[in-house]
Amino acid sequence: MIEKTAAPATKVAEGRSFFLKGDSVPIALLPFFAFVTFFLLWPISDVLIKSLKGNSGEWTLSNFEPMTHGIYLTAFQTSIELGLITAFIGAVVGAFFAFVIENYAGRKLTAVLDSISAVFANSGGVPLAFMFIASFGANSAVIRILRGIGLDLYANGFSLFSLTGVAFVYSFFQIPLMVLVFKPALKGLRKEWREASMSLGGSNWDFIRRIAVPVLFPSFFGSMLLLFAGGFSAYATARAMTVGNVPLVPLIIGTLVDGNVIANKANQGAALAVGMILVAVIAMTGYVWAQRTTSKWQAR
Amino acid sequence: MKIEKTVGSALEISGLSRSFGAVIALDQFTISIQPGELIALLGPSGCGKTTALRIVAGLEKADRGSVHINGEDLLSKPANNRDIGMVFQSYSLFPNMTVAENISYGLRVRRMKSDLIKKRVIDMLDLVELPHKINSYPHQLSGGQQQRVALARALAIEPRVLLLDEPLSALDAQVRSQIRDEIRRIQIESGTTTLFVTHDQEEAMAIADRVGVMQHGRLEQLDTPNNLYNKPATPFVASFVGITNSIPAVAESSTQVVILNQSIDIAEHSVAINAGDHVSALVRPEWVSLEKSAGVSLEKSAGESRVITKSFLGPMTRIGVDVGLKELVYAELSSKEARNYDTGDLVKVSIATDSVMVENV
Amino acid sequence: MASPMKGKLGKYSAISVTIFISLMLFFVPLFSAAEYSFRGSYGQGHDFTNYLWIIQQDGFLAHLLLSVELGALAGALNLILMVPTITMLHLTHQRFRPIVDLICILPLMIPVVSLAIGAEVSMPSFLQNSQYELVFFFVILALPFTYRVLDTSFGSIPLKTLVEASRSLGASWLSTILRIILPGAKGGITAALFLSFALAIGEFTITQLLHWDTFPVWTVNASQQNILGAIALSVFSFIFAVVLLGVIAFTSSSRSKKEIVVEEGA
Repeated sequence: MIEKTAAPATKVAEGRSFFLKGDSVPIALLPFFAFVTFFLLWPISDVLIKSLKGNSGEWTLSNFEPMTHGIYLTAFQTSIELGLITAFIGAVVGAFFAFVIENYAGRKLTAVLDSISAVFANSGGVPLAFMFIASFGANSAVIRILRGIGLDLYANGFSLFSLTGVAFVYSFFQIPLMVLVFKPALKGLRKEWREASMSLGGSNWDFIRRIAVPVLFPSFFGSMLLLFAGGFSAYATARAMTVGNVPLVPLIIGTLVDGNVIANKANQGAALAVGMILVAVIAMTGYVWAQRTTSKWQAR
Repeated sequence: MKIEKTVGSALEISGLSRSFGAVIALDQFTISIQPGELIALLGPSGCGKTTALRIVAGLEKADRGSVHINGEDLLSKPANNRDIGMVFQSYSLFPNMTVAENISYGLRVRRMKSDLIKKRVIDMLDLVELPHKINSYPHQLSGGQQQRVALARALAIEPRVLLLDEPLSALDAQVRSQIRDEIRRIQIESGTTTLFVTHDQEEAMAIADRVGVMQHGRLEQLDTPNNLYNKPATPFVASFVGITNSIPAVAESSTQVVILNQSIDIAEHSVAINAGDHVSALVRPEWVSLEKSAGVSLEKSAGESRVITKSFLGPMTRIGVDVGLKELVYAELSSKEARNYDTGDLVKVSIATDSVMVENV
Repeated sequence: MASPMKGKLGKYSAISVTIFISLMLFFVPLFSAAEYSFRGSYGQGHDFTNYLWIIQQDGFLAHLLLSVELGALAGALNLILMVPTITMLHLTHQRFRPIVDLICILPLMIPVVSLAIGAEVSMPSFLQNSQYELVFFFVILALPFTYRVLDTSFGSIPLKTLVEASRSLGASWLSTILRIILPGAKGGITAALFLSFALAIGEFTITQLLHWDTFPVWTVNASQQNILGAIALSVFSFIFAVVLLGVIAFTSSSRSKKEIVVEEGA
């Protein structure tokens, strides 16, 4: 059987096209690279440098020392915990919602739900915080109603301004974000696979166990990493909600930057920032890897 | 590698009907397939061929009708219990599994013993001639290779019937004819009763034992490729299968028409005609005869026509002649014979056949 | 995973109902907060007091307009920067795509807080003292989304072919851009514009850490005085966004091609 050999790569003579000469000198891309270098790469490197500088400008690792104990360590642990919890809740509930929308919602409903998810997912920040303070605050309609049916949340120690409360609020943008990010992966689950599995004698459970779950796993896991990075790094919502009683790294950085700070503290803020970058980059690398695997498998 | 030639199953489809709202997808579709036969369902999009296939597979429900394999009722069984193999148009291989795992899927689901599975997988890979790809992943294979693996996967479970849903449509032209012949070879070797759906008439004619031409949910004619070509049962079949000229003609009587000043009998299954009716005659290019006019002249005399186009098709050449009608009339000659004709030449056109099928204009 | 169930929401199966209830749980905070925001003085009755309060606050309009202005600038700058870049990436400079891809993921990877710390270093001093420095960072923050959206949009049209056809027919570059490229990528461009505008208007983190007073920051500060007013505003903006996008989605989806009744080519 003769295999179809690949056609030799034809070289398109760039210079012969009607417009710009070839891609030897990317002049047209210069604005972009300049912009990004100036406003993204330079600040990032500045943070890195600041974190490694001591009081008198000398190179040192001492800024990283406080992170290994005490309040800073606790903050990292709490932030990571927050990220993990909200990522998990968001991933599981979001995947479930995504599955239902993908399979049971008609075209219009899907479009509407998509845009609502987009709004919710990007909400974070101040409006969300206030909304929750209003709707679950001690005096709100919801709490009163629940109290009326015997479910007194506050008597049981519930507080919006605790880690639980923050996680609760975060879930409301993590879940829609999961729906947004995961639904395309569900879409990529071709119906031919299910039909092939059926025709080969597989039951629904066979399909789920042997095909759907393995194929969806990278995407699910990657999305969860994305959610983690978001939950870990979120600032605005926490800032609007907590009164400093929940130790989170973003908030600490915020206070260090906020008031009048001695240079030393500012550099410590930078060190914390670098710590955050590390955690987030690890998570996001996993996310990117997962995306690559998924697109490799689902290439059309 | 020879595999056990199993006795194929007989597939009886009777009165299958299916509508989607106001759209009739299948209308009393009835077909009887002999053990070991390869039947192609041929027709344009929307003719119902894929619907019929998917009903047999269990992926669609029928409104009415029945399907029996060796006398056993099929429609009452769920899709995953019909002992049927199916090959889809494209990319139906499970992406997270290697070729071996794909092929063995049906066997693993049936809890076959792993050493038997291993042997069957190797046999199947030999059958489709891809033994070296055993541990590759689908995204590492070309389109043609993927379809061969899909075929191996479907045959691994030794199905009673094999269903193919336009398996070649997504492939490159060159690969298409290779895989097509492979499918036929494997089908004959394994003796599996096969139903093959396609919109490409060349494909259907090339490999099928019998072809069912469908239109608007109905089976127009089920016959050997030869008979479909030479004895079409309806004008649709005549024009869909092979190439045909549609030439305006006038009825001379109820049995004869005049085409290009020639009197010819009408064929079976033509529309009913009365003297004076205007009809269209379906004339195959190989029935159009050309005679070169003696001498050279720039003036066209009565009965003469000018050659306008000449298309070299390999062993045959198609010549388009202007007979004074809206469209050219095409004749097909052996390329050897066609060497005598050039564009611009004057020729006399005649029709060399006993009868032609006519339809309403 | 399109199952035969698609489009049969009217089935009221157990799952549908469960989902319906779950979805309601999302809107409970919205409604509850809305109810809260409509409460009158001293908790008596319901009226628009809180909505009126925030509007009447000193600086409401000024800050709102400021945020709108910054948002518009950010949106415009984003397009001016990215549309030519992405056009070039798709046309002639394809080999730079992987690196641009990577760069545009960075703002997602780097926590905004961390970025804020180093932000001012790159600012020339004349900008440092102006709130317009925020615009540049808004553009960076929006980059992952706008890049993705524009990239997909440009990828879905046969850009190279269209441009070559246009040029070969004699059109100038400007003409080609205006008549071919922009209309072709209209969907992506509008989405990118909307995304960067929305992000800029709601951005809090960098703004606050750089000590600027845009609408979101001002709201938080104002809320110290009157939480109800701030809540009213948040609720309003939320409902507004949800309804607006929902309506847009609803109406625009009806313009797309009709459902194919017979799924297979049959």
